[in-house]
Amino acid sequence: MRTSLKPTQLFAAACLAAGVLASGCQGNRSEAPPVHIWHNMDFQNKLDPQEEYDFFFAIDCPEEAAKIAELKAKAVAHGHNPDHLPLPEKTCRGRAMRNAPAGTVARGHLKNDDHLYKGRGPDGRLVDELPKGIVLSEELLNRGEERYNIYCQPCHDYAGTGQGIATRRGGGFAVQPANFHEDKFRAMPLGHFYDVIVNGKGTMLPYAAQIVSVEDRWAIAAWVRTLQQSRTTVAMGGK
Amino acid sequence: MPAIFPRWTNKIPLAIAVLGPLVGAGVIFGVWYYWSPEFTDVGYRPEQPVSFSHKLHAGDMGLDCRYCHNTVEVAAKAAIPPTQTCMNCHSLVKTDSPKLKKVRDSYESGKPIPWVRVHQLPDYAFFDHRPHLAAGVGCSTCHGRIDQMTVVQMDQPLSMGWCLDCHRDPDNNLRPLDRITDMNWDPHSEEALAYNPNEDPERKRKVVPPEHCSGCHR
Ligand code: HEC
Ligand code: HEC
Ligand code: HEC
Ligand code: HEC
Ligand code: HEC
Ligand code: HEC
Repeated sequence: MRTSLKPTQLFAAACLAAGVLASGCQGNRSEAPPVHIWHNMDFQNKLDPQEEYDFFFAIDCPEEAAKIAELKAKAVAHGHNPDHLPLPEKTCRGRAMRNAPAGTVARGHLKNDDHLYKGRGPDGRLVDELPKGIVLSEELLNRGEERYNIYCQPCHDYAGTGQGIATRRGGGFAVQPANFHEDKFRAMPLGHFYDVIVNGKGTMLPYAAQIVSVEDRWAIAAWVRTLQQSRTTVAMGGK
Repeated sequence: MPAIFPRWTNKIPLAIAVLGPLVGAGVIFGVWYYWSPEFTDVGYRPEQPVSFSHKLHAGDMGLDCRYCHNTVEVAAKAAIPPTQTCMNCHSLVKTDSPKLKKVRDSYESGKPIPWVRVHQLPDYAFFDHRPHLAAGVGCSTCHGRIDQMTVVQMDQPLSMGWCLDCHRDPDNNLRPLDRITDMNWDPHSEEALAYNPNEDPERKRKVVPPEHCSGCHR
C-alpha cells in the first residue's frame, strides 16, 4: 500500500476543495442574479406591472430616441450598418404600463360627485360634513387612525402637532409640517383636510396617488378632526 | 504468455464498490445543496441605482411599509413607489445630498428611477399579495427583516415547496390582522404562540390556502 498521495491526486482533491469553497454556502449574499437551472417557461412573453418595455422607448424617451435616430441616420449616410453602432447607454426606459389616452374616462371613473371627490359643495366651497354614504362610526375612525398613522404620522406625528420622526432627522425639514391644534386649522372645515390630501398645500405634496381610496381619505380627515377635538376637551377639562 | 489483465485490475471491483456510492452520494448532495433555490436565489441583493436604505427609512424612522408599497393590500403586486413618494420628504430634507441626485433628476424629468427587481417568481406561477395580507400573513414571514437591510436581499427561496409548507399548515404563520407590517413580530414569542387565529373575533372565516395545482398555476 502507498501511504502518500500522488501529485495528480493531490491536485484533483485541491480542485474539488477549491470548487466547493468558491461556490459558497446557501444564503450567501451575492449581486449575481439567481441562476435558473432549468429555464422552462420562467420568462414568458408577458409583462408585469412596472416592468420596462423597449417597444415604447420612442414614446417615453423622445429626446434619447431622437438622438439615436440621428446617429443611425448619420451612419447610413456614411455607408455603415446602423445596427452595428456603438450606442450610448440608455438613461431612460420605455414602460410597459401605459396611461389612458388624454381626454378619455374609464367606466365608473367620471368622479362627478364634487362632495365625495373634491370635498366641495355645489357652490364650490369646501364642505364641513362627510359625504352621503360615508357614516361617522367607530369603524370609520379606526380606519382613519390606522391610515393616518401610515401616511401622515411620519411628519405630523401621532398627535398631529407636526413633529413627526421624519422631521427630526438628517438636519430637519426646511418647512415644519402644520400643527393641527393651532386655531387656524381648528377653524378649517372638514373638506379642507380632504382637499389637502388630494391636492397638497404649500410645500406638502399631494397624497392622492398614495391614498387611492376616497373612503380612506375621508376617514383620515375625520381622524384629524378627532385629534383636534381630543385636545380641545382635555384643555377645557384642565381649566 | 503474460496475463491478459494486469494485476492491478483486481482492484477495480473494489474501487467501484467504494467510489461508486461515494460519487453517487456526492452528486446527490451537490444537486440537493447547490441546485436548491436556497442556494441559487436566497441572498440575491442587486445593487440599486439609488442607495435607498430600508434600515434607515422603515427601521430607524419606522415608516410603515404601506407608506411606499401602498398597493400591497389591494393588488397582486406591491408597487415600488414612484419618485414623488420620495420627494414628499426629500423636497424638504437632505435637499442637496449627492446621494439623492438621481431622485431629484427623475422628479424633474418625469422619468422613473430604474430600480432593479429582487423577487421574481417564474411567469407560470401566480402570486397575489392581497389574500395573504387579508389572511394576516406578515411581510416579514416572506421577506425577512427588511427593516434591518440597508440593501434589500431575498430572504426566502420562494420555491413551490416553500409556498406549500405554509399552505398545508398556515395557522402558525398567521398573526392578528392589524400586525401585518409589524417587523418585530416574532413567531416564537409567547404572544405569537398564544395567538389562535380560529378564535380571533376579527376574522370572519377560516383560512383555506389552495393546495391544488390550479390555485397557483392558472
Ligand atoms: C412628508 C411629510 C408630510 C406628510 C407625510 C404629511 N404632511 Fe401634511 N404637511 C407637511 C408640511 C411640510 C406642511 C406645511 C406646508 C406649508 O405650509 O408649506 C403640511 C401641512 C398640512 C396641512 C395644513 C395645510 C394648510 O392649510 O396650510 C394639513 C391639513 C396637512 N398637512 C394634512 C396632512 C394629512 C392629512 C396627511 C396624511 C395624508 C399629511 N398631511 C401628511 C408635511 C407632511
Ligand atoms: C420610503 C419608502 C419605502 C418604505 C417605507 C418601504 N419600502 Fe420597500 N422598497 C422601496 C423602494 C424604493 C424599493 C426598490 C429599491 C430596493 O429594492 O431597495 C423597495 C423594495 C422592496 C422590496 C424588494 C422588491 C423587489 O424588487 O423584489 C421589498 C420586498 C420591500 N421593499 C419590502 C418592504 C417592507 C416589508 C417594508 C416595511 C418594513 C418596506 N419595504 C418599506 C421603498 C420603501
Ligand atoms: C417620510 C419621509 C421620507 C421619505 C418618504 C423618504 N425619505 Fe429618504 N430620508 C428621510 C430622512 C429624514 C433622511 C435623513 C436621515 C438621517 O440622516 O438621519 C433620509 C435619507 C435618505 C438618504 C441618505 C441621504 C444622505 O445624504 O445620507 C437616501 C439615499 C434616501 N433617503 C433615499 C430615499 C428614497 C429613494 C426615497 C423614496 C423611495 C426616500 N428616501 C423616501 C426621509 C424620507
Ligand atoms: C406570502 C408571502 C408574502 C407576503 C406575506 C408578502 N410578500 Fe411581498 N412578495 C412575495 C412574493 C412571492 C413576491 C414575488 C412576486 C412575483 O414575482 O410575482 C413578492 C414581491 C414583493 C415586492 C416586489 C414587487 C412585486 O410585487 O413583485 C414588494 C415590494 C413586496 N413583495 C413587498 C411586500 C410587503 C410590503 C409586504 C407586507 C405588507 C409583503 N410583500 C408581504 C411574497 C410575500
Ligand atoms: C406564510 C404562509 C404562506 C406562504 C409562504 C404562501 N402562502 Fe399563499 N396563502 C396563504 C394564506 C394564509 C392564504 C389565504 C387563504 C384564505 O384566505 O383562505 C393564501 C392564499 C393563496 C392563494 C389563493 C389566492 C386566491 O385568490 O384565492 C394563492 C394563489 C397563493 N396563496 C399562492 C402562493 C404562492 C405562489 C406562494 C409562494 C410563492 C405562497 N402562496 C406562499 C399563506 C401562505
Ligand atoms: C402554493 C402554490 C403552488 C401550488 C398549489 C402548486 N405549485 Fe407548482 N410551483 C409553484 C411555484 C411558486 C413554482 C416556482 C418555483 C420556482 O421558483 O422554481 C412552481 C413550480 C412548478 C413546476 C416547475 C418546477 C421546475 O422548476 O421545473 C412544476 C412542474 C409545478 N410547479 C407543478 C405543480 C403541480 C403538478 C402542482 C399540483 C400538484 C403544483 N405545481 C401546485 C407554486 C405552486
